[in-house]
Amino acid sequence: MKFGKWLKQQIEETLPAWRDKFLSYKQLKKLVRLISLAESPEFGKVDAEAEFVYLLNNEIDKFNAFFMEQEEDFIIRHKELQQGIKRVIDTWGPNGTKPSEAEYIDEMAKVRKEIVDFHGEMVLLVNYSNVNYTGLGKILKKYDKRTGRLLRLPFIQKVLQQPFFVTDLVSKLVKECENTIDEVFPVEVKEEIVKVQREAITVVGKGVFRNTVTALLSMQEIRRGSSTYGHFSLPPLDLPDSDLIHSFQLNSPIPTV
Amino acid sequence: MEARPALSIQRSGASQLSNHGVSGGLSSSLPVLSTHLEETYQKFSDTQEVHAEKEMMTRPLAHTTRLPTNNGVVGHIFSSSSGFSSDIHYSSALPNEKHSRNPPFISQSPTNIAALPLSQSSNSLLPQSTIPIHCNKENSGSWCTDPDFLDFPEWADQLITGDDALASNWNELLVDNVTDMEPKTTYQVAKPCTTVPAQNQQLPSPSVESHSVVNPSSSANNAPAKPRMRWTPELHEAFVEAVNQLGGSERATPKGVLKLMKVEGLTIYHVKSHLQKYRTARYRPEPSEGSSEKKLTSMEEISSLDLKTGMGITEALRLQMEVQKRLHEQLEIQRNLQLRIEEQGRYLQMMFEKQKAGLDKLKVPSSNPENPPAPSDATNDNESPTKSQLESSQRDHVNSGTGTVNAKSMLERSPQEICGEHKAPETGDLEKAETCVSESSSQPSKRPRIEE
Repeated sequence: MKFGKWLKQQIEETLPAWRDKFLSYKQLKKLVRLISLAESPEFGKVDAEAEFVYLLNNEIDKFNAFFMEQEEDFIIRHKELQQGIKRVIDTWGPNGTKPSEAEYIDEMAKVRKEIVDFHGEMVLLVNYSNVNYTGLGKILKKYDKRTGRLLRLPFIQKVLQQPFFVTDLVSKLVKECENTIDEVFPVEVKEEIVKVQREAITVVGKGVFRNTVTALLSMQEIRRGSSTYGHFSLPPLDLPDSDLIHSFQLNSPIPTV
Repeated sequence: MEARPALSIQRSGASQLSNHGVSGGLSSSLPVLSTHLEETYQKFSDTQEVHAEKEMMTRPLAHTTRLPTNNGVVGHIFSSSSGFSSDIHYSSALPNEKHSRNPPFISQSPTNIAALPLSQSSNSLLPQSTIPIHCNKENSGSWCTDPDFLDFPEWADQLITGDDALASNWNELLVDNVTDMEPKTTYQVAKPCTTVPAQNQQLPSPSVESHSVVNPSSSANNAPAKPRMRWTPELHEAFVEAVNQLGGSERATPKGVLKLMKVEGLTIYHVKSHLQKYRTARYRPEPSEGSSEKKLTSMEEISSLDLKTGMGITEALRLQMEVQKRLHEQLEIQRNLQLRIEEQGRYLQMMFEKQKAGLDKLKVPSSNPENPPAPSDATNDNESPTKSQLESSQRDHVNSGTGTVNAKSMLERSPQEICGEHKAPETGDLEKAETCVSESSSQPSKRPRIEE
């Protein structure tokens, strides 16, 4: 699948609030085409490149700003969730101040849902980072190809250091979430769950779950192998359980504002 | 996440101003490229997708004119807040080009000022290249931050010593910019940049997650710039402690928190915005899924997984968790791969440059003819197979060189071509790594096309 189309899909499927935070791939592509068509002497090219770089930098600023803001939110929410769990356990838990099984179960269910969604959102942010990085790489590659310049390599090196690409912290929070869930909601002996899920599952709505499924599926799609496979290309995605993931039927999204 | 209308945090690039106003779809933040750089600025303040598309079509990049009074030029080229000053990568990219570029730069008008210092010495610019600048561009205040500050003083000096004509233009530009500094429109984005260096000089230091200190760009900068800060859990802990000491999130004031935290480089602005987020998170713990999902009640949210199999909520959540974990796993793998690929590319580049440097040395007519032919033969051997292959590719490339190998095409070929006896063992390793990464040690499919 073409990246542009894929990116568009990602954007459509992503959380609505995120939609305008992605790479303006199409416009940049147009720009590259214009630049390559322009019959200009060396300096025209340099200026054009400067413009192109400027625009790319703007995009990067956008990513950074959004990413760091989300990250900040995640940090706060993560802590709040942890505290929330503690509160529930301490209040309604068996050793709590007001032990109440019913309340406990109820509250725990809510918390659990929250954590899982929170986890998903964080993963989506990592995905966001990845999508945009890939897009940048691709547009740079196009640029180099069209203009014969060598912008990609040094530029991408700088991208690698950008905040939006350095997703370590978010990944760490993700893992911590997973640990929390495993601790607080220990795995019951229901290994057959996986088999049960072979049946078609309809995923409705615009919840985080839907987004992650989409993201995963499309990641597989985009890495299926490309026509311009080179040394800088990623290998096809190796996804165990891929048939499980594929078995999710995604309903067409409810039109959102 | 939720929009934060109260705070201007979201404003990152100059072009972002109207971002929120624009309907969804692809980002509209991409300003239009025009032939006239000055006009480009006007376009930036528009930032409408529609305009962008239209303008892109109707305004081919025919020719860039030299605009002696283009205040924006220099500014915007270096106004990348993300530390991406074009100069930084220019300085590394340029060495690949022929140095014949340099003289023409000097004779050009200010438009090329940007390019000038780049080629002059990467040294002065290098310190900045390692720095991930996290600063964000806040339009409420002046333009932000580092790259501008950094670049300007250093190479501006070079400029001024280098060429008087340019220097006078330069000063003119600076003076022009100093006079108007309204931070309102995006157009101003570039202007304040050019002025700030006159006032501030700062050295950004890397602000990695491990640092609980604020992005240094804010530390030395007393200007109204409000760069984005990267929060960490530790920093947040300190924040929470301070807040609790002050009696809770409602009672705590930004100023008080700031004082208590005693974190260098933290500004009240950072604290204020963080406090606001904190309050929101505490008192509305439910709607954490983004604006649209807030409307769903928790039950509806749970039933957003409409399971035909009649799975319980628990199983549904578990399944969701599995998918998410899987996605995350794959993302991490992908990211690592990408890092490795680029690392390798960089390595190849370095090898190539070393080789080229060696070649250049040999090309210089040296006074010792007994510079044994052996090394030159060796390197020539290196060169000839690659050269013949590359010559055809050079037709596709704008190669300002005299026929030196094109670095890019070199890099796209497998390492076995960048070979010399002394490099053979290394290429062995490279190849291994490459096969892991790219799954094929054979040439990329593009090559045959180029080669014929």
